[in-house]
Amino acid sequence: MSEIQTLEILEELSSLVSDRLQVVSYKWLSRNFLVSSNIAKKLLQEFVEKTKDDLEVVYTVAGWLKKAPPTFHIRLVPQPKLEEAKHDFDGNCSVQVYSVQSCIPKDPAAIWNAEYIQAEELSKQPISVDNCLRDNRFCGVSNSLVKRNAEGAPAAITVPQTKGVGIPGQAVGSSVNQIGSSLQPQPKKLEQASPKIALQSSNVTTPKIESDRSGTCDIQNKELDKDKTSLSIKKKGQSDKSSAGTKTSLANLWGRASSKSKSTNSSVEEKCHASKPNGVLDSADAQISARENLEAASSDDESGVNFKRASNDGGKKRRVVLDDSDEEDFETAVNLGSPNVPSTKSSQDPKQKSRTSDKEKSILNFDKQDECKPVVKEETEVDDASHYAKEEFSALYMGKNVRNAISERVHGKSPDIDVSSKNKVPEAAPCSPKRRKVLKTHIDERGREVTEVVWEGEEVGMKETTASKNNADSVNNSIGHTGKAEENGPANPVNRATTIKKSPAVGSTEPSHTTGKAGSKKGANAKDPKQGNILSFFKRK
Amino acid sequence: MLELRLVQGSLLKKVIESIKDLVTDANFDCSATGFSLQAMDSSHVALVALLLRAEGFEHYRCDRNISMGMNLTNMSKMLKCSGNDDIITIKADDGSDTVTFMFESPNQDKIADFEMKLMDIDSEHLGIPEAEYHAIVRMPSAEFARICKDLSSIGDTVVISVTKEGVKFSTRGDIGAANIVCRQNTTVDKPEEATVIEMNEPVNLTFALRYMNSFTKATPLSNTVTLSLSSELPVVVEYKIAEMGYIRFYLAPKIEEDENE
Repeated sequence: MSEIQTLEILEELSSLVSDRLQVVSYKWLSRNFLVSSNIAKKLLQEFVEKTKDDLEVVYTVAGWLKKAPPTFHIRLVPQPKLEEAKHDFDGNCSVQVYSVQSCIPKDPAAIWNAEYIQAEELSKQPISVDNCLRDNRFCGVSNSLVKRNAEGAPAAITVPQTKGVGIPGQAVGSSVNQIGSSLQPQPKKLEQASPKIALQSSNVTTPKIESDRSGTCDIQNKELDKDKTSLSIKKKGQSDKSSAGTKTSLANLWGRASSKSKSTNSSVEEKCHASKPNGVLDSADAQISARENLEAASSDDESGVNFKRASNDGGKKRRVVLDDSDEEDFETAVNLGSPNVPSTKSSQDPKQKSRTSDKEKSILNFDKQDECKPVVKEETEVDDASHYAKEEFSALYMGKNVRNAISERVHGKSPDIDVSSKNKVPEAAPCSPKRRKVLKTHIDERGREVTEVVWEGEEVGMKETTASKNNADSVNNSIGHTGKAEENGPANPVNRATTIKKSPAVGSTEPSHTTGKAGSKKGANAKDPKQGNILSFFKRK
Repeated sequence: MLELRLVQGSLLKKVIESIKDLVTDANFDCSATGFSLQAMDSSHVALVALLLRAEGFEHYRCDRNISMGMNLTNMSKMLKCSGNDDIITIKADDGSDTVTFMFESPNQDKIADFEMKLMDIDSEHLGIPEAEYHAIVRMPSAEFARICKDLSSIGDTVVISVTKEGVKFSTRGDIGAANIVCRQNTTVDKPEEATVIEMNEPVNLTFALRYMNSFTKATPLSNTVTLSLSSELPVVVEYKIAEMGYIRFYLAPKIEEDENE
C-alpha cells in the first residue's frame, strides 16, 4: 500500500473519528477503503500511535486463558484495561487494535453499529455486484475449498438436502463446541462444511469476533455467552417442536389477501408443504426466543414478558383479538393450525408452542424432501427450509453476519430472509437488548401502513412475528428486500401481492430500509432541495 | 433597568402568537429606540423581524441595550394569562436572568406579575439590506390569509406572479390546480380594502405555502399586508403595527421557478 494512500486514509480516519464521532473498526476500515483486514489493523495501529491522546482504543486480545481447562479466548478490551486483561491470558497473547473512537460508547453495541450498517449496505447490493463482502477478499480466514457463489448457482440445491438430515446432530455439536471452548472451534466447523455452509465461513472471522465481542465488551458477559449456548441446546428441543400451525395463523394475521388465497386454493397438500418447512423454520424462532430468554435474564424489564413466554411452552392457546368481521375465521384457523397465534402488536413470543415432538418434525421434514424432489419448486422450498435450519444454528452464534452470507447466497428465498431478520434479534440481544431507535413501517391488520419509531430491542417480538409470517405466508416466495425480487420463484399473483405488502414490514427490520410514506413526506418538507435559504440572501452581521 | 408599558397589551399577545409557530426561541433586543426581534426559523428559510418603536409604548425606559432570550411558547403561555384589555408592562433588571410581565386590568383592580426565566440563545443577527423591490402589492390581510389557506389545501407551493393586470397566486397539487388573480382595485370606500400594485418589473416567484400560512397568523395585527417581491430576493410579507412598528416576514423563494411545482 502506497504511502500516499496510507496518509489519505489516516487523514480520513481522523475526521471520521473526531468530527463524525464514528467508531472505526478494522472491519469497517477494511471494507470501506478496500484494504485487507491486516492492513486495516495496521492502519489503525498507526493511527493510534499518531493520535494517541485524543481517542479511545479498543483492542482485541486473543490467546489462551490461564485458567483450566485452557480455552482460547478473544476479548475486546478498552485501552485502560489492556494491561489488566493481558494478565488473564497465558503467556503470549495477540493484541491488535480493534477499533478507534473518540470515546468508549456506553452501549457496547455502538461499537459495531457502523460496520453493521456497512455490512448491511454491502449485502443489499444487487447480487451481480461483486463487493468485498461477497468475495470475502479481505477476510483473514481463507479456505481454498470455499467458493463464494454470488451468481446463485442452482448446484447448491443438493447440498442443503443432505445437510438437512444432519441438522439436529450438527447443531448440537456446534453448540457443544461452543460450550467446550470459546469461539475457536467455530471456523473449523464451518470450514469442514459443504460449500453452502462454507459460504458463511468466509464471514467467520466477523461473527467470531461478533459473538466474542458480545462476551467481551462487557467482560462478565462471557459467562453469559456460555449460558446462552447451553440454553440454546435446551431450547432446541422445544424449538423443533413448534407446530405447523404457525403458518396458517400467521398468514391469517398477515392480511386478508393471503388468507383468502389459502382458502381458495387451499388443499391438504399445500398445507403440509407449508407445515414442514415451517417446522424447521420454527426451530429458528425458538432459538431466538431462547436467546431472548437469555436476554431476559440479563435485562430486568423484559423478564416479565419472557417468563410469560416460557410458560407458554406448555401449549396453552393464545388468541388474537382482531376487531374485524373475520374474527371467527381467524379463530378457527388458528385453532386448527396451532395453539399459538402471534399477534403483531404484542411482543410476546408466538412460537414456543409445541405440538409435535421435534423428532417427528424432522422426520416429516425429510420425508417431505424426498417427495418433493421431482418438483423443482418444492424442492427449493424444502431446501430452503433445511437450509434455514442449518443456518440458524450457526446464526445463533454468528449474529448478524450470517445475514451477509445469506444475502450472498443465491437462494434469497424468504426463509433466508427470515433468518436474516431474525438474526438481528440475537445480534441485538447479546450486547444491548434494547438500545436502537428505529423507524418501522409495517402493515397492520387492516392493511394500513403504520410507521412508528420504536426501540429495536423491544421490538423483538414484532420482528419475530414478521419473520415468521414470512415463513408462513409463502415459503417459496422470495422477498425483494435484499434486491432479489427478480429471483422470485414462481410466485402466484396472490403471493406476489403479499410480497408487496410484506416487504415494508420486512424492511422495517432494517433501519436503512424504512421510508414510511409519512416520513418521506416530512423529510421532503424539511429539506426541499429547491427551497432557498434565507442566509443566502442576507449576510450575518 | 428595563420597563416597557404597553397600554394595548393584546397587541403583544398577537405579535407573539404570530411568530411562535415559526420561531421557538428568540432574542428580544431592547434599545433606547425600541423593542425588536429578529429570528430565523429552524430551517433557515424564513426570517421574522419585529419592531415596536419606543414611541408606541406609554412608558419606555431602557437604560442600556439589553438582549433577552425568550422561549416564545413559554412567553405565549404567560401572555395568555392576561386579559385582552390589560395593560402589559415588561420589566427586567440589569443582569437579571428573568423578565417580568405585569398585567394590569383596565380599572386597575387586578394586577398580576408573571416572571419568566430567560435563556441564552445563540442567534445570528442578519443584516437586511435596503432594497428596491420589483413589485409591491398591498392588499387586505384577510384576503391574503384566505388565499394562502385555500391554496394550501391544493398544493404545497404558491407561485406569485405580478403583472400589470394584477397579482396571480397559483398552485398545483395532486388533486388539481388553482389560480387566484387579484386585480388592482383602488376604488373602494375604505382604503384598507384596496389592492394596490406597484410594479417596476413583472416577477414570478415560487414559495412554500407552509410558511406563507404561518405568516398569516399575523393577520390580526393589521388590516393590510404588503408583499414586496423581487426576482432575486426573498419576499417580504409585512404587517404594519399601527403607530408602533411592523412585523416583517422574509421568505426565501424556491430556487426553481417552475410552474409545475
